[in-house]
Amino acid sequence: MPGQHPSSIPLVSKVKTVAEAGALVHDGDHVALGGFACARNSVAFTHELIRQGRRDLTLSAAVLGLDADLLVGAGRVRRLIYGGGSLDRFGAIQCVNRAYEQGTIVAEYYSSLAVCMRYLAGALGVPFMPIKSLLGSDLLTRLEQETAADNIREIDDPFTGEHVVLLRALLPDVAVVQVHMADEEGNARILGPRWDNDEAVKAARQVIVLAEEIVSTDVIRQQPEMTFVAGFRVNAVVQAPYGALPTSMYPYYDHDEDHLRLWVSHARSDKGAAEYIDEWVMGCRDHFEYLERVGGFERLQEIKADSLLGY
Amino acid sequence: MTAEAETAALPFTTSELMVAAGSRELRDGQLVFAGLGIPQLAAHLAQYTHAPHIRILNEVGLVDPHLIELGVGNADPRHWYRAASFSTFVDIVGMTLHRGLVDVGFLGALEVDEYGNNNASEVLRDDGGIRRFGGGGGANDIASLARSTIIITRHERRKLVERLVHNTSPGFLTGGDSRERAGLRGGGPRRVLTDKAVFGFDAKTRRMKVLSVHPGVTHDELRDATGFEIDIPANCPLTPPPSEEEVRLIREELDPKGMYVSAF
Repeated sequence: MPGQHPSSIPLVSKVKTVAEAGALVHDGDHVALGGFACARNSVAFTHELIRQGRRDLTLSAAVLGLDADLLVGAGRVRRLIYGGGSLDRFGAIQCVNRAYEQGTIVAEYYSSLAVCMRYLAGALGVPFMPIKSLLGSDLLTRLEQETAADNIREIDDPFTGEHVVLLRALLPDVAVVQVHMADEEGNARILGPRWDNDEAVKAARQVIVLAEEIVSTDVIRQQPEMTFVAGFRVNAVVQAPYGALPTSMYPYYDHDEDHLRLWVSHARSDKGAAEYIDEWVMGCRDHFEYLERVGGFERLQEIKADSLLGY
Repeated sequence: MTAEAETAALPFTTSELMVAAGSRELRDGQLVFAGLGIPQLAAHLAQYTHAPHIRILNEVGLVDPHLIELGVGNADPRHWYRAASFSTFVDIVGMTLHRGLVDVGFLGALEVDEYGNNNASEVLRDDGGIRRFGGGGGANDIASLARSTIIITRHERRKLVERLVHNTSPGFLTGGDSRERAGLRGGGPRRVLTDKAVFGFDAKTRRMKVLSVHPGVTHDELRDATGFEIDIPANCPLTPPPSEEEVRLIREELDPKGMYVSAF
């Protein structure tokens, strides 16, 4: 495999194809998604889950993006745990919003920090985290009365008497995250901000890392302070160059504005979303074919980031 | 001259006036949450003028970006350029905002009520159904925890309402000390900034009150566009216009393509 050089350090290889990694997710699983709006979504993996027919999924993220909109648009989602979502100025997460309006999904709708706190409790192995957000809001009322009665409580702090909300630990079955580089054991590096990735990955029972490049572990070990998750936590490492497209991968490549707009125009209706998924997801053998069809090498050069700007 | 003609003759746009008004609410050295659009332009304008040491936070996990090009949103790397720190949501929204360190948070709103509670989630369609938006993200966290907030909204009857469809981001709840009684730590809304006026809040009742009306807006027009009762003092001042230098900075340095100052 390109980029894999011999090292004297014995590693457990977790390198898998995207199809093998997709098979780690089962129908009905809770998948924590690693993207944020139209940045660093694990699109190659999302496409694979749709192709493999995975369904009845629960998805979670502090802020949902394209990957969630695609999965909901494909009719594969039963429940959402989230704080918000958008495709920034390209448009709304229309499939998610429509499913919410029509009541075809259960939406556990929190603040973004609340979702992170639930992951953090899961990651630490504590049963809950207190939070001082949500108080007095309709978010709290709906969570308590409608969507998350088993996951949220209000109590008075036993030490000071201060009123707090308790959020139950969240342990996703699988966390999926697109990263810049990883070695074959899954020691992985993200460049740029990491939003909810640290807590989601460490709360999850299984972790799937999709890497722009798989490098020798000696590359990772030259700057180990850059490792955001150590390999022992990781179950699968997939080589997925341009795997976030059409979302951005700072500082490697920019979002593909034309293709995001194409999705937004299709996602206005269930029929349009289905047509898009037939053509661009089911109609592509894998992410390499998708990359060819959105314009291939020429398009990838156009959206390659400027090395000073990072976009 | 009609109010419209008067406005048209002004050497600045309403959004430029709002950016300048937002900027003037900020003090040097403050820690500020400022999302896309007018809030971010206001914070940067303050940095260019009276408050160079403002530090701007972005919930994706970054501190103090110095962008040279406006992008499509918080997740756009154009908004991360030359940041001082890249980290996580828990660091920025948790260990900074929840910790109580954020001075000012800007909030956009689909609806605002007279106590500064606001809706970032959903509105009613004409047929009575729900029109859902993507959700508030960190808006509830900011409204709950920032020392003060500035709410920005378009001034229409369907936006400044008596009753919210969804109270996503609490202001002063039902007024008086109800916010404190609910256990909220942050200071709540300080200003509501619209395309017609600037509002503050009464110290006791916590109801919105008019502080200034924008040039060219009549008092009747303001009342008609507001879905709840407002008192406009007879000697109500005009919102100070942006200076020539502020207008120049907005047009030439901050938003040369007019991506955001054309929002109002």
